[in-house]
Amino acid sequence: MSINPPEQLQRDTASIGMACLFIFVGAIALWDTTTMLDSDSYVFPRAVAITMIIMSISLIIWHLVKPRRKLAEAGPAASTVRRLALVAAMLAGCLAMPWLGFLIPGIMTFFSLMFIGMYDEWSMKRKILYPLIAVAIVVGFYTLFGNLLQVPLPVGSFFE
Amino acid sequence: MPGIDYLLAALTPLNILLALGGVIAGTVIGSLPGLTATMAVAVLVPITFSMEPTSALIMMGAIYTGAIYGGAYSAILLNTPGTPSAIATTFDGFPLARKGQGDLAITIACIASVTGGLVGATFLLLLAPPLAEIALAFGPVEYFWLAIFGLTLISALSEGNLLKGLIGACFGLLLACVGVAEISADVRFTFGSQVLVGGIETVTALIGLYCIPVLIDLVATPDRHLKVDHKPRGFRFLEALGLSWKAKFSLLRSSVIGTLVGILPGAGGSIAGLVAYTEARRTSKNSHNFGKGEPEGVMATESANNATVGGGFIPTLVLGIPGTPPDAVILGALLIQGIRTGPSLFTEKASIVFTFIYGLYLATFLMLPVGLVIGRYAYQTIITVPKALLVPTVAFMTMIGTYAIRNSISDVIIMIILGVIGWILNRYGFSPSPIVLGLILGSIAEQGFVQAWTIGKATGELGKMFFGRPISLAIIAFIFLSLFYPLIRSRFRRAEKEVPHVD
Repeated sequence: MSINPPEQLQRDTASIGMACLFIFVGAIALWDTTTMLDSDSYVFPRAVAITMIIMSISLIIWHLVKPRRKLAEAGPAASTVRRLALVAAMLAGCLAMPWLGFLIPGIMTFFSLMFIGMYDEWSMKRKILYPLIAVAIVVGFYTLFGNLLQVPLPVGSFFE
Repeated sequence: MPGIDYLLAALTPLNILLALGGVIAGTVIGSLPGLTATMAVAVLVPITFSMEPTSALIMMGAIYTGAIYGGAYSAILLNTPGTPSAIATTFDGFPLARKGQGDLAITIACIASVTGGLVGATFLLLLAPPLAEIALAFGPVEYFWLAIFGLTLISALSEGNLLKGLIGACFGLLLACVGVAEISADVRFTFGSQVLVGGIETVTALIGLYCIPVLIDLVATPDRHLKVDHKPRGFRFLEALGLSWKAKFSLLRSSVIGTLVGILPGAGGSIAGLVAYTEARRTSKNSHNFGKGEPEGVMATESANNATVGGGFIPTLVLGIPGTPPDAVILGALLIQGIRTGPSLFTEKASIVFTFIYGLYLATFLMLPVGLVIGRYAYQTIITVPKALLVPTVAFMTMIGTYAIRNSISDVIIMIILGVIGWILNRYGFSPSPIVLGLILGSIAEQGFVQAWTIGKATGELGKMFFGRPISLAIIAFIFLSLFYPLIRSRFRRAEKEVPHVD
């Protein structure tokens, strides 16, 4: 007969923290409604903010009084640096668009993300093929949206 | 039943070609995150201006049908609903794809979409005028409660915690309030930022909250995006057909739900999909498997959202009130063609209306081969493309797709920020679905709430206004049922166990 090891339990402090954050968001929303003049503007957001605060308080009470959750098992190692780099590359691409237009930041973002998402070795074949595919995809989408779908993509203040 | 002449008129080579082209274009556009069914119809509608009204309508109906189905691809393969109607498709579609059953999920979605489309078109053909009356029975309060019903449904579906779902829904409703208020034009929750004055666009939030977290997790590990089975398995059509046949009642019920919800202007495919999904989960023998990759979940959502196409045309054609946003675009195109919608349309312009309805059948049938072929190609692409190309391609699509909604770089930045917020919230058990649905239903809920509030205050009957109308009371009953159903069911089960069985 095997004896199961005692389950490792802890209070779900993360959920309590998130609930506190939502109470803060609700409070900010309530405060902002005091600047609104027309009751048609504030009655709905006020009702929603109050409901959110009540729900968040209920969640905190629930986690304090009743359940304790089992500690999650550690998942496979994940790269935080790559995660941050992905967000940074996308944001940098967006911020460059008013100056450089859509195409150049688009290609630069694509290349950056290609490097960030690369886990295999950069073989000679990949070194030649991937940049060509990257340019083809970006130019293809640029043409599709800019010419076929008539979306006015930014040209960039440097080129105007 | 309208005669065979109209059917033959719909089946001209030109109409078949237009329907085919419309379905292909709609499916491709709908599958791209950021490009919704409304955009697909709006972008392609100028092509129809020079056509005959019947052919124009058939093409627009085909684009709309294809786009709603196309939204399932990214929902299943990328966990990102291509259109808001496909939100509930992610619940079981993506888990199926992760198990290596993405091809089966796409074929099931295709069969379900065709079934839903056919049921919706049949209601439109046979019962349009009487069903349109339902739309008129809904006042502002009913729409408010309907929006709340949608939010409670999705909150109850949220994994783990109902309270977290409800908090997420409230957060979504608050996000919907950002910008200029629709009723009083006050500027709200912008905190002095010009970027937020235009509000947060629904599809922007949809892409951010669903797609960016997938990308953030995708880039963090060397694992493959989806499990790959190297054996070629074809379309798996017979397997999917067999599963669909087993769940035929669920499929039909979901299609009818989709049609009825589609009749209500503004409710749309997202609510239809959720109501059908919840009902399928409640009645299914495999209810425990829902959310973990249950084919019936995909069937319910996809049949319901495609049934809203036919359902949405009912108030559009009979009352001139668009049932869904793409219907509004089509209504505008009809006016340009000189066709005035209204109850007399079915008698005075019967040839146009009934030929169009048969054209809708044609487009729905064509969706089967088109959907299977494009779906297979999409699946093969997603599983074979290396991560170093998949990540930037999807990221670039989200950026250009979001930009195209309002031609705004600020929207792209908002999308990325919301994505990061969504990823953090997801880690702590706050699902993105209630937030997105809160944002989608925010304006309907607020309009209904404020109108009812104003009328109630003016008449001195605020309580009666919110709680005194029969349809409102019925929806409120459903809200309570959706919130407390798991509790009621567990109580009943416990009571059953406690009663000793006597043979």
